[in-house]
Amino acid sequence: MKPARFIAHFDIDAFYASVAIRDDPSLAGKPVAIAGSHRRSVVLTASYEARPYGVRSAIPLYRARELCPQLVVVPPDMPKYKSVSRDVFAIFEQHADAVEGLSMDEAFLDFGETTLDDAVERAQSIRAAVLESTKLTLSAGVATGKLIAKIASDRCKPNGLLAVAPGDEESFLAPLPAKSLWGIGPKTAARLETFGITTIAQIAALDDDALRNLFGSWGRDVRELARGIDNRAVEPDRETKSISSEETFEYDVRDEKQLIAALREQTRDVVAKMERENLSASTVGVKIKRANFAVFGRQTHLEEPTRDPRRIFRAAVYCLQRAHLNGAPVRLIGLRVASFTQGEPKQLSLFISPTVSP
Amino acid sequence: MKFTCNTKDIASAVGAASKVVNAHTTVPILSNVLLQAENGKIAVRATDLELTLEHAFPAEIGEPGSVTVPAKLFSSYLGNLPAGLLELNGTPTRASVKCERSNYDFHALPADEYPPLPAATKGSHFTIGAKRFRDGIDATIFAASSEEARGAVLMGTLLEIEGNNMTMVATDGYRLAKYTTTLDDGIGGAEKYIVPSRALAEASRNLGGADQIAVSALGAQSNQLQMTAGDTSITVRLVDGQYPNYNQVIPAKFDRSLTVNTQAFIGSLRRAELVAGDRASMVKLAVSNQTLIVTASSDVSGNAYEELEVEQTGEDLTIAFNARYLVEILNHIKSAQTVIEFLGPLSPAAIRPVEPLEGGQQLYVLMPLRQ
Repeated sequence: MKPARFIAHFDIDAFYASVAIRDDPSLAGKPVAIAGSHRRSVVLTASYEARPYGVRSAIPLYRARELCPQLVVVPPDMPKYKSVSRDVFAIFEQHADAVEGLSMDEAFLDFGETTLDDAVERAQSIRAAVLESTKLTLSAGVATGKLIAKIASDRCKPNGLLAVAPGDEESFLAPLPAKSLWGIGPKTAARLETFGITTIAQIAALDDDALRNLFGSWGRDVRELARGIDNRAVEPDRETKSISSEETFEYDVRDEKQLIAALREQTRDVVAKMERENLSASTVGVKIKRANFAVFGRQTHLEEPTRDPRRIFRAAVYCLQRAHLNGAPVRLIGLRVASFTQGEPKQLSLFISPTVSP
Repeated sequence: MKFTCNTKDIASAVGAASKVVNAHTTVPILSNVLLQAENGKIAVRATDLELTLEHAFPAEIGEPGSVTVPAKLFSSYLGNLPAGLLELNGTPTRASVKCERSNYDFHALPADEYPPLPAATKGSHFTIGAKRFRDGIDATIFAASSEEARGAVLMGTLLEIEGNNMTMVATDGYRLAKYTTTLDDGIGGAEKYIVPSRALAEASRNLGGADQIAVSALGAQSNQLQMTAGDTSITVRLVDGQYPNYNQVIPAKFDRSLTVNTQAFIGSLRRAELVAGDRASMVKLAVSNQTLIVTASSDVSGNAYEELEVEQTGEDLTIAFNARYLVEILNHIKSAQTVIEFLGPLSPAAIRPVEPLEGGQQLYVLMPLRQ
């Protein structure tokens, strides 16, 4: 068999729900949803038993209860998930040349140049090692590119492994809906449909003019992808571009003091993350979702990068004031910092007083 | 109203005023400039409610009165006129302009809705040589903060008047600029004003027409400052707040110093900064054996090494600065030689020209970078 570069995509099956069931065997076989107790909570993860009822992640909890009255709702336990995730990623790191984490329960692994059989064997041994160490199952897609590896792992869930052999990429993708391609969101998919394009095969067959008309400058990239040509590398430790923290209020908030209190809390959160990653930021922004779901933001630039909570908080309050809410009800507020430099701020201040140079 | 004037006069007056107009204002009349014809002069005024600029020029008045015209539109129109005479007829809703064989009608807004100038209750009053004032503005305001989130106080420039002396100070918390000079005509006691730096920038640009600038505090609480030179005046709302105690951060004594050729040093820093690359733009200065070595390095670009002959006093020293801050300060030093005084690698350094400006003393204080 000819060697090729292989990439595997791993995804822990129903991560939060699986952890809950693992730690409370009385939940086994029952429809379980992980969700907060908040009035506006949404389902974070649903167990496979809950999914036939239509319960899936991101739907509001009240809706999930309507769909499945016997649903068992378990509150999330983020510290526990993080610790489990670390264990799983440690196993990934041992078995791959490079690991690109996408979230706590999902990653691409670069297996380098090898044969299909070897790649499948390595993926299986990772699944076995994770099961042994964490008692969790995960699904794996093995292919020569990221896109197909991810689609493959989605299609063999739960607890499966699907490999696409080199040379079979185009035929694997051909029958799939166009929206399975990266970069084709619901809006583009709807537009394509008006031209009668619904499958990846149809995109793969487009000529240059049609590509330009439909997709503009990235048309050729889309067609390459549709033909199974996907040379994107696994990028380990993706650089942090921004750090944010947000809160959806239980009841809409009109009181600016309460919004400021939320920003103060979020400043602590964001600064803690910056310290963990040893970053300083020179952009601070506030995101606001109004009661009518309109989302908008305000941001400001700092003269010197910082991770001083007082400066970040004050910049956030300034952004909030510039949003001119005038008592309009707010559903969500979030704080975001970006434009990072590594390390602690180096520029020393003339003044020590926090009112002058926090 | 009705008047005839020179196109160049009105173009330059409206052009200067239109720079004050806030392009994002939601109050329609604030997008306009006010033209007032009276006593053989046309006064052109623009305001954003914080800053007001008024400039008058001679004209032949047919009928006194006022009109307001959209600033950007009118100033672009005037900027495209040839030299010659222009006749303007104003009503509350229209400004009709005749120039040679062209006729334009601009939509106007009633002049009586234009915000009035602040009450002319005068507080302290002083006069200063125009060049000294402009030198002081140019020497200081660049060091003020431009970060709105830090508030108006640090974005402002402090004017401290005591008797016949004036001190101007601007700082963003990392560097500080100070300029001291004497007044032509001082005040009895002492006053402190925090002036929005952009008002001083406008003053430097627009108050060049006379030898002397008259400065007065206006309003019952002296919360406005008016700067007048000849037929031009700028009125600005002062910043309400407590300026940081800047004297506290200027070391009284230093224990080592270097004297360096200003332009050569700027050149070295600019080249080294290219290599330093990242946002902190860190350059290291090592002083030893009457030599200053400027180095910078980054993983991306490589290494920089520059040697300069200097006059050194005191012990050897290695210190790091943000090259951008240092260059900006040196760019405001006209003297061929610059003195830099130090206390240590983590203490503020003082920078000043060897040859002071005529009639004014500059001092800069810059905090180093932690290496």
